[in-house]
Amino acid sequence: MTRKFDRRRLAQYGVVVLVAVTLNFLLPRLMPGNPLALIAGVDVGLLTTEQRAEIIADTGLDNPLWRQYVDYWGAIFTGDFGFSYRSGRPIVEMIRDRLPWTLLITGSSLAISALAGVVIGAFSAWRRGRPEDLGLLTGMISLESLPSFWLGMLLISLFSVQWGILPSFGAVTPASDLVGWEHLKDIIGHAVLPVATLTILSTPGVYLTMRYSMLETLGEDYIRTARAKGAGGRRVLFGHVARNAIAPVITVLAIRLGFAFGGTVIVEQVFSYPGLGRLVFEAVSGRDYPVMQAAFLVFTAAVLIANLVADLLYPWVDPRTRTS
Amino acid sequence: MKAARSETKPRAAVRRFRVRLPNILGVIGGVIVTTLIVVAIFAPWLAPYDPKERVARPFLPPGEGHVLGTNDVGQDLLSELIVGTRVSLMVGIVAATVALIIGAAIGVLAGYYPKRLGSVLMRGVDVVLILPFLPLLIVLAAYLGRSLLNTIVVIGVLIWAEPARIIRSQVLSLRSRQYVLAARSMGASDRWTIFRHVIPRTALLATGSFVRAISGAILLEASLSFLGLGDPIQKSWGSTLFWAQTRGAFLTPAWQWWVLPPGLLIMAASLGFALIAFALEERIDPRL
Repeated sequence: MTRKFDRRRLAQYGVVVLVAVTLNFLLPRLMPGNPLALIAGVDVGLLTTEQRAEIIADTGLDNPLWRQYVDYWGAIFTGDFGFSYRSGRPIVEMIRDRLPWTLLITGSSLAISALAGVVIGAFSAWRRGRPEDLGLLTGMISLESLPSFWLGMLLISLFSVQWGILPSFGAVTPASDLVGWEHLKDIIGHAVLPVATLTILSTPGVYLTMRYSMLETLGEDYIRTARAKGAGGRRVLFGHVARNAIAPVITVLAIRLGFAFGGTVIVEQVFSYPGLGRLVFEAVSGRDYPVMQAAFLVFTAAVLIANLVADLLYPWVDPRTRTS
Repeated sequence: MKAARSETKPRAAVRRFRVRLPNILGVIGGVIVTTLIVVAIFAPWLAPYDPKERVARPFLPPGEGHVLGTNDVGQDLLSELIVGTRVSLMVGIVAATVALIIGAAIGVLAGYYPKRLGSVLMRGVDVVLILPFLPLLIVLAAYLGRSLLNTIVVIGVLIWAEPARIIRSQVLSLRSRQYVLAARSMGASDRWTIFRHVIPRTALLATGSFVRAISGAILLEASLSFLGLGDPIQKSWGSTLFWAQTRGAFLTPAWQWWVLPPGLLIMAASLGFALIAFALEERIDPRL
């Protein structure tokens, strides 16, 4: 049963990769306008005939479409994303430089919002219908409507400009040559505001799921049994209810991770944080399309890995779905 | 006796409050949305200046004649926000309509024909739901170019999957209800059954997910405009923030009149629709 299920999930992930790569391939070739401009991101009018021929040969645009498609897949499997047309650097190298920063801020913000969302959600469900629950619920619904970039700008205005206690841009102080503990402190200081922004944005999703899941679990028979056996208050809340209610939250967290990863495009732009999201923005505004495409594939891979991890964690968290 | 009474009294109050909260929030949402729609309709008459004209010195702080000061080229910021209401609401509503049409069509078909067609369609929905949303939005917007129509299309074709999923599960359960089975066994055609019995009963649910889609689309339009991927000619709240960011307004005291108000408006608009959606969803499936 599990194996069949797994195979179906894997097939689904395969389709997602297929769709993402095919979109990447087809979009610049189907859009109105010169595909050369959309693939190479160059100003076609300014090129000499030789330069143009060189780029066409380089990108294989003179080959038939199916041949280009096969070559495109070949390049992906060999990890060869080509070169940036702006900086001339290999794209793989650019992504390798940027990825750790994005992982740092998305990872920490997700960990914090998972903890906060689960705890507040459990508390809220426990106090169902009381003023504190309704207040929290209303507050979290409001937070979901917060524009991420605006939140980031406000945090900078307050913490960096008004009070001057945190840096407003970058991941490290430029040319400071800090080492050891000071260097670490510098990195943490720069990460605080982006992490805070991402955390505030992803907490409501976890909270709402946890609260709802708790309410469902509170109605189950075994909870009533535990209560009838005399286990009361906090013990039932954390020992029985929260433990069982947490399973759906794992799925939400995995999806959130994917979204949080994508959300960095905006948040990193606000904080000039040198991660993958900012790379996408730079590529889009500089019309460096190959870089944009490669980054999109990395984001897709990240979402899929997050989903895969959730699939693997699920039976571990919720033994009811385990099969021998 | 006395103790028992004081025990039950607050409980009853709590229960009454519990019932009322979604309605209260829904009314608040309704007031916000109505106000914004009125502002959008009468924007040209409400705005003190033409937001596309240079009417004063650039970077003016709030003062006489300019309640929120002026931007980097000397346009009146308040007028910009009032006129921007039109683009933000229009893009949100039209994009959500596009999403609803696609989502309802796919949801109804997938729910009514759950075997082959349905499972194929739902695979498609799952794929759309998994794809990294924001990067895809940006990639599409970058290739399509900057125009109002493209913004609407890009948002619409990316947010239909959630309405489709919700409508499908409703149709799936309606399909096996007695009266639908009765109609079908008496020889009603699929088309008749769908339009006469299925669609009217998904209307409330579809309205809920439509309103929620508007709330999301407003945020997405603002995000695209903030990244400089919106229509360069149209003023919207997101584009005001784009220029505030480009000119570094949030690094000066100007954040109080240039950054704060447009963000509050985006949040109010998105929240207004989200609250209405919450009240509707709570009516269909109470979770409080």
